[in-house]
Amino acid sequence: MEEPKHIFIGKKTIRKDGIPKVTGTLKFSSDIYVPGMLVGRVFKSPYAFADVKRIDTSEAERMGAVVITPDDVPDKIFNPRLVSIFEVTYKDYRVLTKHPRYLGDAIAAVAAPTEEAAQRALEAIKVEFERVYEPILDPFEAMSPSAPLIHKRILKGDEWIDVKNNVGCTLEYSEGDVDKALKEADVVLERRFRTNRRYHMQLEPKTSVCIPHSDGSITIYSTTQTIHNTRILISQIFDIPMSKINVVKVPIGGSFGSSIQINPVVPISVALCLKARKPVKISMTREEDIYDHAAYQMHFKIRAGAKSDGTLIAGELENIMDIGAHQIQAYPLLGTALGWFVSLYKWKNIRYVGKAVYTNKVPTCAFRGYGAPQVSWAVETLIDEMAEELGIDPVEFRLKNYVGKGDIFWGQGPTVKSIIRSDGVPELLQRGKELIGWERRRPPSEKTGRYRRGIGVGRSFHTSGAGGPISGETIDYTGAILKLNEDGTIDYITALQDHGGGTLDAHVKIIAEELGVPPDLINLVWSDTQTTLYDVCTHASRGTYVGGGAAVQAARELKNKIFNYAIRVLNKAVNQDMLELGYDKELGQAVVYVRDNPQMRITLKDLATIAWQRNWGTISTTVTYRSKAAPPSFTVYFVEVEVDTYTGKVRPVKVIAGADIGTVINPDYAAGQLHGGFAQGWGMATLEDTIYDPRTGELTNKGFITDYKILTAPDMPKLDDFQVIFAHTYEPTGPHGAKGLGEAALNSVAGAVANAIYNAIGVRFYELPITPERILEALKKKGR
Amino acid sequence: MKIPIEFTLNGQKVRTEVEPNELLLNLLREKFGYTGPKYVCGIGECGACTVLLDGEPVLSCLTLAVDVDGHEVTTVEGLAKSRELTLVQKALIEEAGVQCGYCTPGFVIMIDKLLKENPNPTEEEIRDYIRGNLCRCTGYVNIVKAAMKAAEELRKGTTKVAEISKE
Ligand code: FES
Ligand code: FES
Repeated sequence: MEEPKHIFIGKKTIRKDGIPKVTGTLKFSSDIYVPGMLVGRVFKSPYAFADVKRIDTSEAERMGAVVITPDDVPDKIFNPRLVSIFEVTYKDYRVLTKHPRYLGDAIAAVAAPTEEAAQRALEAIKVEFERVYEPILDPFEAMSPSAPLIHKRILKGDEWIDVKNNVGCTLEYSEGDVDKALKEADVVLERRFRTNRRYHMQLEPKTSVCIPHSDGSITIYSTTQTIHNTRILISQIFDIPMSKINVVKVPIGGSFGSSIQINPVVPISVALCLKARKPVKISMTREEDIYDHAAYQMHFKIRAGAKSDGTLIAGELENIMDIGAHQIQAYPLLGTALGWFVSLYKWKNIRYVGKAVYTNKVPTCAFRGYGAPQVSWAVETLIDEMAEELGIDPVEFRLKNYVGKGDIFWGQGPTVKSIIRSDGVPELLQRGKELIGWERRRPPSEKTGRYRRGIGVGRSFHTSGAGGPISGETIDYTGAILKLNEDGTIDYITALQDHGGGTLDAHVKIIAEELGVPPDLINLVWSDTQTTLYDVCTHASRGTYVGGGAAVQAARELKNKIFNYAIRVLNKAVNQDMLELGYDKELGQAVVYVRDNPQMRITLKDLATIAWQRNWGTISTTVTYRSKAAPPSFTVYFVEVEVDTYTGKVRPVKVIAGADIGTVINPDYAAGQLHGGFAQGWGMATLEDTIYDPRTGELTNKGFITDYKILTAPDMPKLDDFQVIFAHTYEPTGPHGAKGLGEAALNSVAGAVANAIYNAIGVRFYELPITPERILEALKKKGR
Repeated sequence: MKIPIEFTLNGQKVRTEVEPNELLLNLLREKFGYTGPKYVCGIGECGACTVLLDGEPVLSCLTLAVDVDGHEVTTVEGLAKSRELTLVQKALIEEAGVQCGYCTPGFVIMIDKLLKENPNPTEEEIRDYIRGNLCRCTGYVNIVKAAMKAAEELRKGTTKVAEISKE
């Protein structure tokens, strides 16, 4: 398809929230202070696996605090994430519990006028435990028939199910005949992999503020990726009609998936607020936040077979996910992990077993990439090895077997599939090779000396949303409202959250492009649940693709209505379809004109004013939008590393970050996603993990970020050594040809880094992170 | 027992009473409504709570409120005079050095201070100066770019810039 010329799309503009952010005046939920507000604190279980006998709140109450225990909250079991349909939603959470299943499960909560008073009241709560069990921290031990059950019964939809062997849910799938294919293969590889248990380390610790009103309604400000699902869950738990709950959209200080689910502090703050009849705010400390969420930790076994001509013929994946104490999106993730696996390469014969296993650890949730960083790291490591076994260049091997244009992409597990219509993989591999200097790449055997350099490639993708030709197990639609103001400017109202990537600025550019109204005359309204249409959540890299699709549709409907009014004032114009709306550069505003007779025109400003003065009424439009596809955005990283064989330290020397996102709407912010994605991917590959004390189930970092390292500015490559490239593609189902990016930007990094480390020192690592200790140990084993 | 203190906050003399264990970060945020300085770690690891104390960057999460008695405190809100942005603030917006924005106040203060000390920093010097500030979104790339650009503007003699122009 021909790439259309754009006036606003693809141009750098100043982000709408830029000034409030650099001047420190933007209010995040943690910055909200309300007169008369109480501060809430949560009593967290000091044991990883225990049953409560008695909770004594008398002392805390004597101190004047408002206290809640499991007896004060509705006896409801829920899943805090509402993205999947009812039938496949597994539920084991309560607002407060008498059966803590990890060190940090909420047992009680207090609220008092100051932080200090709240903390003192919290410390005055006495909890007596009926029984304290040995924590089960290893998923394979948890699955042994003799292991005690962490949850005996859980709900699937509305039905109780008995948990067996601590397996929370399972998914199996097969296609073709893997055993036969493996027998026919010339090369078969079998490898086990273990990923790290990363922590999101979003900078804003989770917060919730709940404000009661005299009519019985409440207003909530909270750290969330979805205001509408927050409202629905609170309504379900507390039996409050949704019309009496308003959730306000507040800027979010980073998330990376950690607030797809409704955070535990939200229902707790609501329960405290309902009891106190006063506003209550709970802000987690960093330590509490580290004890709140982590990335899914996966144990893979992969078997793959190929013919000697380099054709893959079989792929088998066993995926044991250590999900921690609760299910958030374990079941859909079993599906997406399979989806990423089958969408990476054409295995032809496929077998998959996925199990989500409970352990007494911090509950896991989506973390940028939703399993794709883990699956891609393992597969990209194995593909590299396979290419070497076959004696084929790793780039050629990938090109021969990858899933691309015309093939089926599983955007969100087995129930969300669509055909790939745009594919920049060949271009990205080719240009990436040239830019990194692929021909410089020598086998590890030729490398000696203290500092050894290596070059590696890794590829992956992520979906753009979770839509598709049919309605699957994932809810995915959004809404947009556009209002033409009386002076020709526009109000754009959406519930969709921008995590900082510039998503909403992308929508504004799309609306500007459609209507010819420059972005600075389009107002991005900070909205809430009572004034917006439903949006499921900003997740699955759907913000630009799905939200942008809604923006296109709303703008086109608005345009029609504008034409409807315009023919009343444009003398002799009779057919609406002969009208055009576009940006007039000289006037700096939008103009309606007659096609083939452009002198016959009126500015949108004048038209809006006339409509107002003559009582024609407001021009506005409301759309609810669902996308009919979930196309992959492909990413390819080429990374050069340097390993110090004395210290085991690795540093990134050069990075080529390639992305196929169709039309690039915000070039600078798209590049920013790749910068940040690389930094997180490097952390995943070499630095980040949370480790447990095997006796107590306590984190060995005790929740302190001192012992959770993320990259700092000097750890990144130099500006000149970090290059971003975009493929020249156009996605026919996307808004003006665009696809998503946020997660794809991370997904392929760890594979590229691991392959580069191998190329430097000749060692493959099957466990993340690849720390200096692990490198030194491996070098020692290898005899350097 | 509350302790009376008096200090200059963003150019204005203020008086208040504080607890002996009250942190400067909480005082600024809760009593004075300056929520630019952010709580991220509370233990001196991230730089998001950075403010200027007599012109020197300090971590307000590790500073007792009583200790600013008689001194001058500037938060990120106090850097931009009236409706004008500083060169660093402008460059951060223009170079897309701001994503979620939660770390931004700390970077604004640190880079501003760096350029006062050294208007001609190398890339390494910039990276080294901001090594105590964490950002989880940007990979620091566009923040470093913005610092280089602000330094260049500064050397060109631009001191303050007008409110950022529209498109
Ligand atoms: S909050 Fe002060 S250094 Fe992190
Ligand atoms: S912009 Fe989000 S942490 Fe820096």
